Parts: sequence; structure tokens; C-alpha cells
Amino acid sequence: MFARLVGESFVRNPRRKILTAAALVVGMAVTTATLTVALEVGDRMAREFRSLGANLLVTPQSDTLPLEIGGVDYRPVDEGAYLNEADLGKLKTIFWRHNILGFTPFLDVPAYLGMGKAESETDVTLIGTWYEHEVPVPDGTIFKTGVSVTHPWWKVRGQWFHDGANECVVGAQLAARYPGGVSVGQTLYVARDEISSYVQPLVVTGIVSTGDADDDAVLVPLSVAQDISNHRGQFRQLFVSALTKPEDTLASRDPKSLTPAEYDRWFCSPYISSIAFQIKQVLPGTEVRAIRKVADSEGRILSRVSTLLWTVTIAALVAAGLAVGATAAATVLERRKEIGIMKAIGATNTIVGGIFLVEQLLLAIAGGAIGFVFGAALARVLGESVFGTPAPPRILLLPVVLGLAAMVALVGSLIPLRRAAHIDPAPILRGE
Amino acid sequence: MAPLVQIENLRKEFGNVRALDGVTFSVEAGEWIAIMGPSGSGKTTLINILGGLDTPTSGQAIVDGTDVARLDEAGLTRFRSEKIGFVFQQFHLVPYLTALENVMLAQYFHSTTDETEARAALERVGLADRITHLPSQLSGGEQQRVAVARALINHPKLLLADEPTGNLDEANEEIVLRLLRELHDEGHTILMVTHAPSIGQLADRRIDLAHGRLAQITETAGGTRSRVR
Amino acid sequence: MFGRLLWKMLRGNRGRLAVALLSIASGAAVISALLNLQFDIERKLTQEFRTLGANIVIAPQSGAQTVDLANAGGAAASVPVLMNESAVEAGLEANRTPDVVASAPFLFIVARAKDEPVVTAGTWLDQARKLNPTWKIEGNWITSREDETQCLVGRNVAQRFQTGPGGALTLSYLGRSAQFHVAGVIDSGAAEDSQIFVNLPVAWKLAGTPGGIGLWQLSVSGTGKSIGEYAARLASALPGYDVRPIRQVTEAEGNLLNRTRLLIASMVVLILVLTALCVLATMAALAMERRVDVGLMKALGGSISRIVGLFLAEVSVLGAAGGLIGCVAGILLAQWMGQRVFGTAITPRWDIFPLTIAIMVGVALTGALPLRLLGKVKPAVILRGE
Repeated sequence: MFARLVGESFVRNPRRKILTAAALVVGMAVTTATLTVALEVGDRMAREFRSLGANLLVTPQSDTLPLEIGGVDYRPVDEGAYLNEADLGKLKTIFWRHNILGFTPFLDVPAYLGMGKAESETDVTLIGTWYEHEVPVPDGTIFKTGVSVTHPWWKVRGQWFHDGANECVVGAQLAARYPGGVSVGQTLYVARDEISSYVQPLVVTGIVSTGDADDDAVLVPLSVAQDISNHRGQFRQLFVSALTKPEDTLASRDPKSLTPAEYDRWFCSPYISSIAFQIKQVLPGTEVRAIRKVADSEGRILSRVSTLLWTVTIAALVAAGLAVGATAAATVLERRKEIGIMKAIGATNTIVGGIFLVEQLLLAIAGGAIGFVFGAALARVLGESVFGTPAPPRILLLPVVLGLAAMVALVGSLIPLRRAAHIDPAPILRGE
Repeated sequence: MAPLVQIENLRKEFGNVRALDGVTFSVEAGEWIAIMGPSGSGKTTLINILGGLDTPTSGQAIVDGTDVARLDEAGLTRFRSEKIGFVFQQFHLVPYLTALENVMLAQYFHSTTDETEARAALERVGLADRITHLPSQLSGGEQQRVAVARALINHPKLLLADEPTGNLDEANEEIVLRLLRELHDEGHTILMVTHAPSIGQLADRRIDLAHGRLAQITETAGGTRSRVR
Repeated sequence: MFGRLLWKMLRGNRGRLAVALLSIASGAAVISALLNLQFDIERKLTQEFRTLGANIVIAPQSGAQTVDLANAGGAAASVPVLMNESAVEAGLEANRTPDVVASAPFLFIVARAKDEPVVTAGTWLDQARKLNPTWKIEGNWITSREDETQCLVGRNVAQRFQTGPGGALTLSYLGRSAQFHVAGVIDSGAAEDSQIFVNLPVAWKLAGTPGGIGLWQLSVSGTGKSIGEYAARLASALPGYDVRPIRQVTEAEGNLLNRTRLLIASMVVLILVLTALCVLATMAALAMERRVDVGLMKALGGSISRIVGLFLAEVSVLGAAGGLIGCVAGILLAQWMGQRVFGTAITPRWDIFPLTIAIMVGVALTGALPLRLLGKVKPAVILRGE
């Protein structure tokens, strides 16, 4: 009988119910959209931050002091320690290998530059590195990486050199001050020093502007730098760009002080410290450090933006909740007469309340489900317009959204219903 | 002297239902008419049309020289505020206004408010000590009396009452009917819908409707009383 | 009488109106909080980005070699081309704005310590912390740019020379030498870890190039556009020198700022739409409730314009009152949000009040539109009581 009553009450006078339903649909759509986006934001923004470039630096453990000014290491090649290029594939075997977006080795070689004429001979630094280099990974795959990933703000006029070729890219400042200028297509002759007989011709494929002192150097494929310096298969330092998660209290603790369970959690979270640790594991004899300027900034800014987003999301949820609740309350108030009539024909408060609450629940579920669909579509559009890729719908949100809808609609209706319970049906029936 | 109210072949249809099916009669100024008949006979529809609350499908309904059927929305509004005073079965007082303010409301919609006059009107119906009460603080009879005061405040030509004592107990019914009698004696024209013959007897004439048509017109006992012209 | 009626209408329906008021106020609160935040977010976020450090550099024209590499071993020294420190300083002072968070000149030399070459930077050490907010330090910062006895060293240097805070270090360059106490050991994770930092005056004494600098770094807060404009301004104030934004930093900043801005804006729009729709719904429900009153007033001969005017006035008062309450609550909400996100107070903007209230009144009136339809209905129908 109760079900029948509910059914009939539900079908009658659809206009009033449509208002509550509409509020629910809109409210839940907004809720779904904001929650979906907020959940995605962390990952998306972290990716955006990779445009800052490398956040980890790998150097030999026992080393002389690098003489680095403005991004160029001026040490003579015979000084200091080196790392092996062949080991680099192992970086893609660590636990967080999929978070290693790229890495680039550097070998800076003081050299001597000429164009075949004595007047134009000068000291120069060769920066040997990778542009797009294919690294063999122990599992048999190839990983393509280089400055295109770790130094994305380096812009070249012309083209980058081909991997392993006898080509070079000249820094913009050097190209400007070099007597006679340097243009694409020219051949430069580099030697280890003034007196060396081994001279390497290099074709200029492009002019690079890095925005830093590297602009005053010549960038060459790593192999070329290795040949000239006689350090085949070696490099000095490695820049790594990794997708990380902002550090929290767990991450800031010394790994050695963690309990086994905590340690597992730390290891299995992409904190910069755990990724650094894992790199050090596969590259023995190295010092792996977070480049603070990038890593710490990223962490702080990401936390800020994330908190901001979540605060806004909560505000949106509260607004949605209050608005929907108020609408539910308003429409229940509007139906005082129905309540009066039902009570007059003998329905108890429980039954009347029950009918209304069940109705609101049904509305909440229906409205919530429809709202979820709209919200998911909305989230896609939002993700697309802000990040360029749509935010995929999260099915797990559906029960959350439905639950919220039900709760809000019920609480909103409960208050006027409790007041209605005390209503004397007579005045209502009289038409007042 | 022309009758105050002249109804000619009045028809009102609600979809397929014929509420009024060609009713014709007239009412002289100062008359107290009781409109009676079983439910569904068209009594309320008739009185609503005369009161400008509804428009007929066809026919004439001339009240104080104005054919209600020909009035537009604005005209009907003016007509209602100037010529008619309506008393409803459910009183229809504004619940959040005092008795005084309820009367003043009618003044407001007519022209301007006059608190003194409104006070006097309430005194006339015997509610001098209830002016600041809200409807919820008044008995049924008192509420209806406020409604009567409200209906009369703009000196209407015609007082219409739809089952004025329908929601009242015996004692209050007495009071309201006595008031109506006094008003009639003072010369007001009253058209009253009722289903109770005992009440209908108080009027000068009784008009019976059945199925939307005039069944009969009767001179009643009250009609023997002398009329003030 | 109109005022009296209006007042009585509002008072008499307290309960039902309270619900509508809540709906409007909550929407107004969230909207005004977000609007408040919106204006501040940009400013606060660009300040956050200053952790990235310097984003404008000034260098000698045509990127000449500014470092004497004699001590680097091997390479023949080329005469370094330096900028005139006081000239640059004057130019910068003339164009000073509150957006400049930190600013310092640099002179790099390759000095020797314990007979090993080490990059030494002469700068204004009091600016070091602000210019590099992400540096970690063991020991103390140096707060005066006149201090000629202390230095900061990178952790690699400390390790290499087996020294730390309080330790002594002697630097020599081309026959000249100077002694320092290590005030603090810095950790940057990058090149600075292998450098020593001293104040500019003593660097000049050591280098023998008084008044000359190789670089000037600035950390300026603002959007990508404003930073570019500022750099252009400085460039015209310092002809002969090369002034440019550091692309690595400004590009990333600009990108992130845009994304965040867009995100917040979309959220604001969403919430606005939601609130508007719910207020609409509540108002429509309220308007329906008024049917009997409308019917009665028509029966009493009230003109449509007067009656509808009365109810629209009621709705407007509701909208304005709800808007006002909401704005006040919104300021509190914005404060809470500001504290949570940025840890600082948000300055309340009073010009949001009229805007939000106007929006709420507009939305409320739109929701009350169904009342206009009532104008057409015959009073008899309404009074019959559905």
C-alpha cells in the first residue's frame, strides 16, 4: 500500500517535482564536473611543470669541483670524474620508470675553433649532449630522449644536429660576436686545442638560443665531444626530468628512519626523493640531487594550486548542497496542502513523512544520475579547454554523487517536513 | 427606474460543461436576492460573472448600466473596485494583515486609503475592539464580518455573497445574517448564493437554478417587508 | 500603504521567505567569495612563482665572455668584457617598482682555494636569499652587502675542502688573496653547490676589476606579459646592455598561470549558473505560493501593475537582502579560503558587494517571472483554490 501511495503521490502534480529535479540535476552536474576536474588537476599540472625542465641532477660521487658558470663547465677534460653512457638505459628499469620523462647527459669540452682562417680562431666550449637520442633499454625497447625533453625552452633557428653526426648547433651569442658571423650550412673546424692535429669539421645546422650562457658555446652531439676529448662513452653530468608528486610529511623524513610499511609507501610514491633514491640504486657511484629551483618550486606551487582547486571545489559543493536543499525545502513547503489532506484522512506523520522522503530520494537518484552524465560531459569540456586533453569520467564518482544528492535532498526536505508534521490540517483544508 | 442588474440569456461554458445555459432575470436596487439550487447548478458561476471575476461565453450582464460581458481586463478591474463588494465563503482575508489593514487593502486598490473610514467600517460591523487582530486571532464570524466591512468600504452598488455563512457555526451565522439584514434595511442591494432554504427565506426574492438554467423565481416572506426606494 | 503592505508581506511569510533567503544568500556567499579570490589569486600566484628565482637578466651586449678563465687551467685568458655596476644600478633604481622582489649584480671569477680552482661569485649577499628562495642553508645567511669577511659556500665546496659553517677559507686570484669565514653552506641541487659567494666589494679587491660586473639578475613578480614589458622598459633605460627575460622561468610561469586562471574562471561560471538556477527555482516556487493573494487582490479590484509591482518589490527586497547577507558571509568565506590556500589574509573588495547584489536581484526577479503569467488568470480560478 505504501508503495502505491508513493507511486501515486509521485506521479501527481509533476510541476513541483520538476523544480526540485532540475535543481538536483544542475547541482549534481556541477558537483560531478568540479570533482572530476579537481581529481585530475594534480596530474595535469604536474605535467605542465615539466616545461620547467629537469628536476634531478646526477653527478659522479667523487669528483673535483665543476667550474660551471652560466651552464658551462670550464674544467679541463683531464680533471674530474666521469660517468658511463652505457649505464643510462637502466634508468628506464626503476620502479618509477614511467615517470622518467627524459634524461640528457652533458659533456663540456674546452676546445679550439676555427673556420680555416687564422683570424677567426678562438677558444670555445663544446657542449656535447643529446637532442633526440635512442637509448637502448635492458628490456629490449628503445627510449628516445634528449634536450627536447629536459630543456624544452631551448629554441633553435634552423635545425638541431642529427644524433652522432658531424654537425653542430651554435649559440646565438657566439654566432653574433664571431668575426664574420656564423650561418647555417657553414662548416666549423674544432680541435682539442691550438696545437692539436686532430681537427673535426662540423656542419652548422642551426643557431640556438637558450637564454643562458650556453648561448656562447657550440652544442655538438655527445659522441663528437667524446671523440674530441678522448673520453668515449663517457659524460660528466646528467639532467633528468621526472613526473613527481609534491612532497608531504612522509617524504620529508629520512628514508632510513621509516618503518618497513612507511618505507614501502614512500618507495611506491613518486616523490622526488624516492625517484632520486631509485636512480642512485641503478647508477652506482653517483650523487643524485633534486634541482631545488625546479623541484621545490614545483612542489610548493602544485600544492598551492591543488589546495586552491579543492577549496573552490568544496565551495562549489557547499553552494550546490545549500541551493538544492533550499529548493527541496521550498517545494515541500509548497505542498503543505497535500500534507494537510493526507493527515486529515488519517495518515500518520510517519507515513506522510515517509512518502515525501521516499519521493525526494527517488528524485535525488534520478536527478543525481542525470546530473552525473551532464557533469561528466562538462568535465570533458573543461579538461579540454584548460589542459588540451579531456578529463575522463570517473565512474567511481557516481555513487558519491548519488549519495550527496540523496543526503542533500533528504536533509533539505526534512526540516520543512518536521514543521509540517505539526500542522493542523483544518485551516489548510479550509483553503487558507 | 432601470433595474440595477439585468441579465439576458447568459451562457457560460467550461469546455464541454455548460455551467450557465441562457439565464435571464433582473434585480432592482435595494433588493435582497437569494440564488439557490443544487450543487452544479451554476450559482457560483453566475455570481462570479456578476462580480466581474469571470467572463461569460455569451449573453448580457448589465450592472449599473455597464455590460460586464463587454469589459476588458482593465475595465473589469475598475468595475470590481468601484461597483462590487464580494464576500466569500472562505473569507479570503490576507493572513498577514490586521483586520484594519484588510479593509484598507480594498481602499488601496480603489483609490487611496483612509484609516478613519476603515475604522468606522469595522465599528459598523461591531469589531471596534478587534481592529489590530490578525485573521488567525479572529473567530469565523468575526473574520466574515471583516470581509463584509471590506466589501462595503468603497460604497459598491452591489454586494455579492457566496455562501457567506457556509463556514460558520450557528451563533456566528446568526450574527452575520443579522448584519446582512441591517445592510438590506439601509438600502443595500444584496445577491446571496445559499443552499439553505432557511437562509434563502430571509431574502426578498429567491431565484432557483437547475442545470445552469433558471428554474423558478419566488417572492419570499422577507419580500413582504417594505422596501426603501 | 504600499510600503506597509510590502513590510507586512515580508514579515508575515517569514518561514517560507527564509528558505528563499537561504538559497540566495548561499549562492551570493560563494560567488562573492570566489570573485574576491579571483582578483587576489593572480597576484598571490605570481608571488608564489618567485620561488623560481631570477627571471630577468642583464648582461653585456653581444654575449661577450665575461669570465677570466685563466685559472680554469689550460685556456688562454681572454679579456673579460664587463658592465659598469653603478651605471646598471642607476638605471635599475630609476625604474624601480614594488614588483621587483630581489635584485643583485654578479661578478664571476675562477679563484683558487687550497690550490684548486673554484668558481667564485661576487654579489650582494643580502639579496641571495630572496633571489634563491629554494636554497637550503646550513649555518647563517649573510645579511649585509658590505661584509667582507664572510662567505657562503655550496655543499660540494664544503665537502671538497672539508669545511663548514665557522670554517676558514682563503681565496687567491692572480697573486691577490683574501680570507673568509664560512657563514653558511648552501644546497641548491645545481651549479651553485660548487660555487663560493662573497660580497661584491671584496670580490673587486680580489679580481682587480673594481666597478665591473658580468651579470645582473632580477626576480620580478607579475604575469608573462608584465615581465616582458618591464624588461623592455629596462632595456631602453640601459642601452648598450642586453636585457632579457629568462625563458625557462617566464615560459613555465606564463603557462601555469594561464591554466590556473582558466580553471578558476570555469569554476566561477559553473557556480554562478548553478546558483542562478536554484534561486530561480526557489523564486518560482514562491511565486506559485502567492497565487491566492494575487487572486484575492484582483478580486478586490487591484490593477495588475500594482499587484505585480508589489510582488516584484518583495522579490527584489529578498534578492537584495540575500545578496547582502551572502556578500558578508562571502568575505568570511574568502578569508578562510585565502588562509587555507595562501596562508595569508585576502583583502576584501567592497566593489563586489554591489555587483553580487545586483546579480542576485536580477536572478530573483527572473525567477519571479511566473507571476506575470498570473496576471492573465481569472481571479475566480485562483480563488477556487487548487
